Amino acid sequence: MKLKELPDEELFTRGHTACAGCGAAVAVRNLMKVLGKRTMVVNPACCLLIFGATYPYLAWKVPFHHVAFENTAACATGMSRAMKVRGKEDTVVMGIAGDGGTADIGIQALSGAAERNEDMLYVMYDNEAYMNTGIQRSGSTPFGAWTTTTPVGKVKAGKADFKKDMPLIMMAHNVPYVATASIGNIQDFINKFEKARNMKGFRYIQVFTPCPTGWRHDTAKTIEVAKLAVDTGMWTLYECENGKVKINRKPKMTPVSEYLKVQGRFRHMKEEDVRKLQDWVTSKWEADERYAQCRQ
Amino acid sequence: MVSKICTGNYAAAYGSMRSRARTVAAYPITPQTFIVEHISEFINNGEMDCEYIEVESEHTAMSACVSASASGVRTFTATSSQGLALMHEILPIASGMRLPVVMAVVNRSIASPINIWVEHNDIMPERDSGWIQVFCDNNQEVQDMILQAYRIAEGKRVALPVAVCLDAFILSHTVEPVDLIEQDAADKYVPEFSPTGAILDPDDVAAVGVFTPPDYMMECRWQTDKAMRNAVEAIGEANEVFAKQFGRDHGGMIDPYMVDDAEAVLVTMGTASSTAHEVVDEMRAKGKKVGLVKLRFWRPYPSELLRAIAEKVKAVGVFDRAVSYGIGGPSYIEFRNAVFGLDLPVMNFIGGLGGRDVSLQDVRFMYEKLLEAARTGVVKRDITWMGTRGVEQ
Amino acid sequence: MAAQALASAAHAEGGYATAFPFFGAERRGAPVLAFTRIDDKRIYRKTQVYEPDFVVVLDEGLLETVNVVEGLKDGGAVVVNSVRSPEEIDVGIDAKLATVDATSVALEVLKRPATNSSILGALSKATGIVSIESIEKGIMQVFGDRLGEKVGERNAKAARIAYDRTVVGESHGSRVLKASNKWLPDVRELPMGVAGISLDTDAGAVGPGSFLENKTGSWKVFHPEYDGEKCTMCNFCWFYCPEGCIYRKEDRMEFDMDYCKGCGICANECPAEAIKMVR
Repeated sequence: MKLKELPDEELFTRGHTACAGCGAAVAVRNLMKVLGKRTMVVNPACCLLIFGATYPYLAWKVPFHHVAFENTAACATGMSRAMKVRGKEDTVVMGIAGDGGTADIGIQALSGAAERNEDMLYVMYDNEAYMNTGIQRSGSTPFGAWTTTTPVGKVKAGKADFKKDMPLIMMAHNVPYVATASIGNIQDFINKFEKARNMKGFRYIQVFTPCPTGWRHDTAKTIEVAKLAVDTGMWTLYECENGKVKINRKPKMTPVSEYLKVQGRFRHMKEEDVRKLQDWVTSKWEADERYAQCRQ
Repeated sequence: MVSKICTGNYAAAYGSMRSRARTVAAYPITPQTFIVEHISEFINNGEMDCEYIEVESEHTAMSACVSASASGVRTFTATSSQGLALMHEILPIASGMRLPVVMAVVNRSIASPINIWVEHNDIMPERDSGWIQVFCDNNQEVQDMILQAYRIAEGKRVALPVAVCLDAFILSHTVEPVDLIEQDAADKYVPEFSPTGAILDPDDVAAVGVFTPPDYMMECRWQTDKAMRNAVEAIGEANEVFAKQFGRDHGGMIDPYMVDDAEAVLVTMGTASSTAHEVVDEMRAKGKKVGLVKLRFWRPYPSELLRAIAEKVKAVGVFDRAVSYGIGGPSYIEFRNAVFGLDLPVMNFIGGLGGRDVSLQDVRFMYEKLLEAARTGVVKRDITWMGTRGVEQ
Repeated sequence: MAAQALASAAHAEGGYATAFPFFGAERRGAPVLAFTRIDDKRIYRKTQVYEPDFVVVLDEGLLETVNVVEGLKDGGAVVVNSVRSPEEIDVGIDAKLATVDATSVALEVLKRPATNSSILGALSKATGIVSIESIEKGIMQVFGDRLGEKVGERNAKAARIAYDRTVVGESHGSRVLKASNKWLPDVRELPMGVAGISLDTDAGAVGPGSFLENKTGSWKVFHPEYDGEKCTMCNFCWFYCPEGCIYRKEDRMEFDMDYCKGCGICANECPAEAIKMVR
């Protein structure tokens, strides 16, 4: 499917209450266009719950279900099995959660569902912190980033640890499909959701979705920041289909400082920390590339 | 009908099969484990047509049941103790969404100290979770109540989840003869599943579990409260229809024994009721006017029925297999509320914690204390910790 | 934060003050409501404010849909963020009214349209309830503590400039607002389990897809200006718009200002430079 072939109908409607420039909103309205009407959604407590479903209003035009925070994959399991019982297996059951709800509190239920190869598409929209509660550090927050729980203080400033590599963890579950995507790479984004829609079993896509409120960049630069993440190697676009890994886009290896300087959350970083992050990016990319070669 | 010697765990698993639960999500925990094993066997032998989800935790078990139920299928799960505690977050979600999930709870002590034996302290924190809760005192009742639970839970009048409670080991691992209900009889009693409210369906779009602002909360809470009140009627009806079809009357909300002319009455939950039953016979034979109220439903609580009995007797004792630290047994606290304003001696006996046996002698002791209070009108000790070393009896 | 800074200012003058938001869940940019209570003795009341002495309106557009003077006490005052003069503003009643172009002040000083600090300067000027010096202190404390000293200083400066530019006058109002219609079902009507089902209510549609009822266009400060001549119909803006308020027509794109929040992504990403953001 090409960009121009995406349908006009919005299954996630305007009028939602996301912040201006919200990257998650870009991801959600477009992935719904690809997945189509026979999609059922499970969504935990996160920004998306609030801005897409505040009673009595809903942006969703498909079945929508929220239960708690850490159990997106568990609930999607229940929903998926129920569809099997009811003979409605043509539906795409999608669990969609943020990075906190996935990489931190939700990882147990996620790992369980992946191991059982439940028939669902699990989407993690990665905005690299707990945005709904007001920008606290998550396991997916990158090294150096300011958040309200890694504040810039006199003794310590920014996150001291590196981003958790969720896609790799998911690939280790040997599920049919694992992919990373970005709202800045349109065709790649469409391809991956289309592929996932047409597969059965457990599929995982992690979408990179900048958050201007939490990352402290201009609301107009959401896509620009997403593209910079790919160009610098901060975010690798790859996929693992039935065990075979493919890099979808080689990073230009633009210096990471280019990515950092457009975001307020990195403004305090010292030169040595930028170097440290650059080293991490370089070795991460090398590792990703080697991993892809091993699993071709 | 086949009569078979089986455990309470088997009775629970069998009941869920005969009720045609179509999705089961459960995680093993002592002493509930046999329930999940039996269900797995039923399914793998082709006797039960059901999606069994081998989840990685109780939290996921309850989450999957909630979502499967919200997606329009009949669900069942079972747990105990720590597992129930791990589920806790999701229990009020099941009731708030008005989902008729049915769960067997094998009541076991809650840590710490860690202990695997019977106690009701695991389920007491769930008093306010919006679950209907019934306590059984024999394995026949366990099977029968699983079937009744679906009849009570489903339907617009109630639409609430139900926990069927059985005492760890004393029922879960003890064999007794049980009349096993056959499928056609079960089908006659438990109607085919039909969802109560809006469900998740790709062909009829709705949302279940929407972020809800203050403008709608009071009305929503009121509806759930009303549903719990409505349950009293549904419980009575479920029992009546069952008694007519199967010839077994478990009593509905409560099961009173020899209370009509009793001077002293003991209120019990779970298997202590069974032991007390024997002691009542023994003491009655000696001319002592004692009676027993088997408190079956803990939620909804039978306030009016208990008050009507209390008005006719001279002393009441409440036996608790649980304690609310610093104030007494939970059942005792609830009972005092039910008899508020009556001039009646009420005593609390806390015992059987963490699997300590409740003996005939223990029950005799309780009745003697109650008869003394009935005679004198004086309660010497409000709360007695039964057989606790170093504590005055 | 403005409500807190005002409370802090009043506290700095030796008074007692409380401040609290309406505990909603809107995202940044959405209309929000906050309250401040000031007294010289301890305040026990924990309710929302129903009869304010002063009303501060940060977004002039709200005057179209919200009766901002509801419950306003006799002799009370209204402060509005507007380029217009007090006489030109209609709040529905005759009232003491002050205006200041807080958005411009914020853009000049803070480089972003965050008007909550500047408007406090206007409030001080219009009501005298707290001095501008105290407002500066309050801002330093609340903004400075949370966002750093430099940010605090800039916001205090914005308040001072706004104070100087505020025009105080009288307004004569005649606007009659339609009573806002909200769907408030009783216990018999509310769907069981607060299920989100499609219903046509007196207050409009609710249920799946009903967020269409929520016109988010009032959030924006800048809006896109589209040049159809330059447009190549690449569809990038259509994909990148977080709202889905850019529509594809046969030979052009259409921008729905009822929903546009003014983020500027479309202009930033347009390869043909066919879109620019204007105030």
